[in-house]
Amino acid sequence: MAHLAHYRQAHPLPFVITHWINLVSMILLILTGFYIHFPLFSGFMGVARGAHLFFAFVLVINMVFRVIAAFFVKSAPDGGTRKLDYDFKGFLPQKDNRHQFGAWIAYYLFFKKEHPLGGKYGVPQKLTYVAIPLLILLIAFTGFSLWAPTSVVGPFAAFNALVGSMMVTRIIHFFFMFVFIIFMLIHVYLANIEGLAPSKMMFAWKEHGGLVYDPELHNIVGEDDLED
Amino acid sequence: MTTKETCIESFDAVLEERGVSRRRFLQFCGALAVTLGLSEAMVPSIHEALAESVIGKADGNLMPVIWLELASCTGCTESLASAETPDVATIVLELLSLNYAETLSAGAGFSLEEAKEQTIEHGGYIVVVEGALMEGWNGNALKIANEKAVDIVRHCASNAAAIVCAGSCSVDGGWQAAVPNPGGATGIQAFLERSKADGSFTHDIPPIINIPSCPSNPEHIIAVLVDVLLIGRFPDLNQYGMPSAMFDQYVHDNCPRRGHFENGEFVYQFGSVEEAKGFCLYPMGCKGPQTKNNCPIVRWNRRVSWCVEAGAPCAGCATANPLKSGRNWVDTNAPFLKRFRSITIADIPFQPMVIGWGVTGVVAALIVIHGIGMKATGRTKGGADFEAERKWDKKHPDKALGPSVKALEASKKNAKPKAKAEKVEAEVASEETQEGGDE
Repeated sequence: MAHLAHYRQAHPLPFVITHWINLVSMILLILTGFYIHFPLFSGFMGVARGAHLFFAFVLVINMVFRVIAAFFVKSAPDGGTRKLDYDFKGFLPQKDNRHQFGAWIAYYLFFKKEHPLGGKYGVPQKLTYVAIPLLILLIAFTGFSLWAPTSVVGPFAAFNALVGSMMVTRIIHFFFMFVFIIFMLIHVYLANIEGLAPSKMMFAWKEHGGLVYDPELHNIVGEDDLED
Repeated sequence: MTTKETCIESFDAVLEERGVSRRRFLQFCGALAVTLGLSEAMVPSIHEALAESVIGKADGNLMPVIWLELASCTGCTESLASAETPDVATIVLELLSLNYAETLSAGAGFSLEEAKEQTIEHGGYIVVVEGALMEGWNGNALKIANEKAVDIVRHCASNAAAIVCAGSCSVDGGWQAAVPNPGGATGIQAFLERSKADGSFTHDIPPIINIPSCPSNPEHIIAVLVDVLLIGRFPDLNQYGMPSAMFDQYVHDNCPRRGHFENGEFVYQFGSVEEAKGFCLYPMGCKGPQTKNNCPIVRWNRRVSWCVEAGAPCAGCATANPLKSGRNWVDTNAPFLKRFRSITIADIPFQPMVIGWGVTGVVAALIVIHGIGMKATGRTKGGADFEAERKWDKKHPDKALGPSVKALEASKKNAKPKAKAEKVEAEVASEETQEGGDE
């Protein structure tokens, strides 16, 4: 077994919940967004727009909560350990990941046979996760530039003027959605290709045995099958 | 001088001569007030102002106007002038002294050009510009009376009280500025600001009122003229120099089909039952939700109807940016029957939907290929084995993060198989203290 053990400490309950909220609101935003762009069937526009707006607020508020909570909730900074530290440290450069960016890329491209050592998140993974709150802010900003009541408000009107017209803003908003769709494809793929244990942890909060990592020694020190 | 009462009395007589009842004229003033964003309480003032000016005509006290016809289809003039019957709105036009207008002036040739010269020399006139200014081929793309239009515009602007850009073409080049724009079509405001910057126009740029849409709505032009000439109030302009009362709300906001939009009742095909029912034209590419104009309120052709009411999706003809002709309404909104504009890559137009799904499809295909690789390398069952030590650490043992592999392996050997993690960690820690740190 080459997995690190999956302990609940890696993903404390509040973050399992925010992950669920992200999943539900992103999928509903994408579906209602497609409908608003072109209503393929009749009778749904009022609901679609209402839901799109509601889940936009849910996604933004959830993101803000998630970012703030990272500074107050403790989680394991590495996989395969129950030791805790403030959650935000898992998103910043960690000793465990030092000089490992190239190793991760090489591993993903099959130039490196062995799985790189790292923190809870690998280097490319960490960069992606840090980008997500920014992307949510940007897509929400373009969204509010399109919603009639806010489109005439200072910064949103200025954005429309900057890019040219609401038509251009619409296309930017639309392409941003594809950034999320592509992120979700890669995210779901990489999270599950080496086994479903990460999903069981993230969705059902179910622990899974595996290798034990020591954050002090920055390396794997044993194995835990969770049997006793 | 006429008193106010006799003035209105004789004005009513003029109206009667034209077959317009006083009641109808007051209704017209009411419509003007709405267009201008004024309250109904202003109707008597508008009535009075119109009466005074029309009667004042006898005193030769008219506002001179130069109507420049640049690169245009004359649609704006037609729109303003084609009244089937003597119309209340035409009375407003009679309070202008149209000293120069290629389409409407009775005179022609030298005498007309001479009239223009005299008007400019006298000053205090209004320039109404219809059509785009062509800067291409060193200004030779458009010449009138053997003079380059760029020079004419600079000359006319030099002594003007105000410039009214009627129609999208004069605002930002309009459809004539659409790609590839070989003639260099541009809007008047952008041209004058550039001329001012490069020193070819040394006067102050007169106040410019931009009235986009294709053609310009005659109600808008008349409303602005009444505003400026009679009430003496310069209209509130938005950031694009367009009157706020007309161009600050979306067509969609006031659309008579808006209820069908909210209900999700749409036209998907022309000639369908849905179209007959007057459902919303959103899937047919209506640009109403992103175009600012008050068409649904003011309507067209003397308030008879307008595009969407007549069954055509809005083409967004009032989309304009006076300083950037590349953002003209055609380049912004074409194809008109599609929800999105097209994005041109290497001269081939693509719909954003195709680009979005294309890129996503490529990523999905790469993921599948990668997945095959993962299966082939046996990583799908728990991933590959971990490296014993980071590659960089191995090369730089003096700066390495963790203990050497040797020390670790010693600790692993001591640990019983499947031991609890804590136990292993404790052993490693004790070993560490014995050796006095790992190097």
